[in-house]
Amino acid sequence: MAKRQRFENRIELVQGTLDMLILRTLRWGPQHGHGIGVAIRASSDDALQIDHGSLYPALHRLERQGWIDAEWKISGNKQRAKYYQLTAAGRRQLAAEQSRWNRVVDVIARVMKSRAPTKERA
Amino acid sequence: MNKIARLARRLRQRLWHTAQDDRDLDDEIAFHLRQEEELRAGRGLANPDARIAARRDFGNVATVKEVTRDMTGWHSLETFVRDLTFGVRLLRRSTGFAFFSIVTLALGIGATSAIFTLFNAIVLRPLPVRDPDRLIALSFVAGGSRQNNFLTYPLFDRLRAANTTLDGIFAWETRPRMSARVDGHNEIVSATFASGSYHDTLGLRPALGRLLAPSDDQPGNATSLVISYGYWQRRFAGDRSVIGKPVTFGDFTYTIVGVEPAGFLGTNLGTAADFTFPLRASTDGSTAQPWNSPNWTWIEVMARLKAGTTHERAAQEFTSIFRSMGPGISAPSTAPPPTVFVETARGGGQSSIRRNYAQRLRLMLMMLAAVLLLSSLNLATLLLARGEARRDEIAMRLALGARRGRVVRQLLTESALIAVVGGTLGLVLATWASRALLRVAMRDTAGIAIDLAPDARVLAFTIAAAAITCVFFGLIPALRATASVNAAWRHEVRSRRQRWLERTLVASQTAVSLVLLVFMALFVRSLQNLWARDPGYVRDKVALFATDAELAGRKGDDVRRTYLALLDQLRALPGTTHAAVSTVAPVSTSAYFVGGVGRLGNKDFSGDRRIRVATNFLSPGYFATLGIPLVAGRDFDDRDDATSPKVVIISERLAAKFDGPAVGQSLESSSGVAEVIGVAKDNRYATVKDAPRDVLYMPMFQGRGSVGYGPTFVVRHQTDSASALHAIRTVVTAVDPALPVFRLNTLEGYTRESLSQERLMAATSSYVGMFALLLASIGLYGLISYTVTERRPEIGLRMALGSSPQRIQALVVRDGAGMVLAGLVVGLLSAWWLVRFARDQIVDLQPLDPLSFALATAVLLIVAAGAAWLPALRASRIDPITALRHE
Repeated sequence: MAKRQRFENRIELVQGTLDMLILRTLRWGPQHGHGIGVAIRASSDDALQIDHGSLYPALHRLERQGWIDAEWKISGNKQRAKYYQLTAAGRRQLAAEQSRWNRVVDVIARVMKSRAPTKERA
Repeated sequence: MNKIARLARRLRQRLWHTAQDDRDLDDEIAFHLRQEEELRAGRGLANPDARIAARRDFGNVATVKEVTRDMTGWHSLETFVRDLTFGVRLLRRSTGFAFFSIVTLALGIGATSAIFTLFNAIVLRPLPVRDPDRLIALSFVAGGSRQNNFLTYPLFDRLRAANTTLDGIFAWETRPRMSARVDGHNEIVSATFASGSYHDTLGLRPALGRLLAPSDDQPGNATSLVISYGYWQRRFAGDRSVIGKPVTFGDFTYTIVGVEPAGFLGTNLGTAADFTFPLRASTDGSTAQPWNSPNWTWIEVMARLKAGTTHERAAQEFTSIFRSMGPGISAPSTAPPPTVFVETARGGGQSSIRRNYAQRLRLMLMMLAAVLLLSSLNLATLLLARGEARRDEIAMRLALGARRGRVVRQLLTESALIAVVGGTLGLVLATWASRALLRVAMRDTAGIAIDLAPDARVLAFTIAAAAITCVFFGLIPALRATASVNAAWRHEVRSRRQRWLERTLVASQTAVSLVLLVFMALFVRSLQNLWARDPGYVRDKVALFATDAELAGRKGDDVRRTYLALLDQLRALPGTTHAAVSTVAPVSTSAYFVGGVGRLGNKDFSGDRRIRVATNFLSPGYFATLGIPLVAGRDFDDRDDATSPKVVIISERLAAKFDGPAVGQSLESSSGVAEVIGVAKDNRYATVKDAPRDVLYMPMFQGRGSVGYGPTFVVRHQTDSASALHAIRTVVTAVDPALPVFRLNTLEGYTRESLSQERLMAATSSYVGMFALLLASIGLYGLISYTVTERRPEIGLRMALGSSPQRIQALVVRDGAGMVLAGLVVGLLSAWWLVRFARDQIVDLQPLDPLSFALATAVLLIVAAGAAWLPALRASRIDPITALRHE
């Protein structure tokens, strides 16, 4: 039963939102993959439990699309780490996704609040 | 990291996947796991637990790596190179297939590109001048004459002064042979005499010095001339000090002032001039003929239209200028009014080479396109069979998850490999073959100036041909091979019905090759017919050569005396039975002479009833030398000299137009009134392709003054040709070492050369036909062999059940017969429809010549039977025990 409990508390990611979360996290500066994962988890108060593994395909895809850049640097604890940072195109993409997201949230909220449609006579 | 380096790295990552990329990903993930582990350890988890938790949260490391790698793209270049190396390895393993397919393509593409190179050089390529699309060539009609592209000087002069539609106009005359003293040496050169704005209107820039200007083109100003780039390289090895060197021509000494640009070979295709003289410079200021004659048509005229002016508008203006000039060329009342015509001169002025070859080359291109199609069908059949052989491999790859597109792409890469190698070899072959073809086609005109260097258009054509063939022969088999995984995987023995694709391909090959064989038969038979035509004279044991005493510096009566002395010496040669001289050779490639006859005896043929006749000037003994019988009257002899009454001999055809016997009556022609003293049997004047004409033979030595163009001597000998030709050369040198000898050859040689276009057609169609036959039989053989291999168990069973080898053979042959017959029917129908395009090239034959069609069918059937019977023979030797055990 414990297992089931865990599932209910977690929010599954809507398709495609991971990209947006990554881009948003990178808005505060360059970060490596692990850092991004931790930041997303932290800023959602641990409600978003993303599989860290799924970050990497997303990061590489975003890099290929030119929205983020990558660079190998030495991290705080003297280890070689790959740091990602937003590009100008990435910034624009983030803005676009954010507004799209807001619209989706609005629309869905409206749908959820609405009552059964009233019938009209033709 | 700067932007460019980043861009370069991203590009590199897209094209190529390296081991470093893999290591980087490993490192990246390892770093993540370490970080996570430390994070958890920091929260109080024991080290081993922290590691396990970190891993668990991450998911399957291998899968993540796999998916991530896919995200970075397909690495297009890498895939391509991998496909390519795989393709090379496969081709190296099956050298037979590789060799056959590459050779097939190289021959197919090579032959097509060779003909296209000629077609490009002769028909498509524009003059290498500024904006050639605005150039026009002029011609006119007046006085009921045919459309003439030689104009009168007054007309040119008037158009130059009065037009409002042109940015420039120029006239020129070409002289293929001229003697000149260049830098202290006597030489025979070719020349163009051009009006002053020639170079300027064309928009040429000099390679050295300056070109001609209107100020050079003034009467009495014989001072400047320009040489061609080719002559500069050939004669002066590109020496820049050539400017200022003297050239003596006739009574005038000119100075070389400049060199034309490289690549410019004159305005008429195939006639490059070494020298370009100003047209009027070597004359005095008089307005005597030809400068003021409204009847002398002798210059060609080209012009550059003003931007935006149409041909129609220019032609209208020129016609009204022409009509305003008043009575010109003697016009009968009923003739259409004088008119000037305008046509594009993008590729240069009128050219007999273009006229003769354009249609033939188009036809040859059509045939070769068919062969290319055939090669491609053939390769498609082969690749289909290979696809069958590789179906396990392909099925395995598809089953392991390869996408179909990926497999198709790999198969196409293999075809592309064949196409690239074949196409490259083809291009090399084409460069060589087009030169060889030109030599075969135009051997009689040595040094003909046609630029055959492969240009961008030829290259593009070859690449397109290779690419289209590649897609054609590669795509169908690739799609087929990857179509059905399951069928392939189950090792189904396909039924015959399922082989419709292969069978259709083989049937199409049969059809295409039959069409080509029909064309080959028609062209070869046409050539034979031309050769077998009775020319009206006796062809063997006659030697000919042309000379020109004026080129040796003789003038006036001296010319005549030189020719008579030469005739005497030739007649005195041991082994010579007859010798004579004429202005037009019995077989001639140059223009012939025409005139008009206005009265025959008492019958009037004036006005538009004037009879067009061909004319020739002869010495006595011409008919005897050529073996042309005189059907009435006598030959010219020494009695017919400058003081005696004028006499002519006419052809039988013309004699028939007289009332009563022609001999003794008089006729009136462009050269005046003369008495008919003889009638010669009809013969083919100037070329065996011609029908017999109305001919007027006039005595060469009866008139006064110049004999005109360098005449042709004819010698009948009893010795063998080689020694006769040698003796003739010795005699000419003995008479005057300065006398040039042109085109010394036998009459048979002359005839052969005059049929070069027909021989080219016959040779090309034979090459094409044989190649097609070979390809089709290989295709048939390949498919039937394959079917036999596939049906081994069935055949073994039949034999075990008592079928005789003959019945097995019949079974296999019948399998092929269906395809061949279908192809035959389609081929015959297509040939029946297509021969109309070759009608002009078919001589003394019905286009639907039954013999040609029958021959083509018979040859095809015999070869196809052979191709089917070999596998049949093998089938009948199958050992039933082995075949069945194998199953």
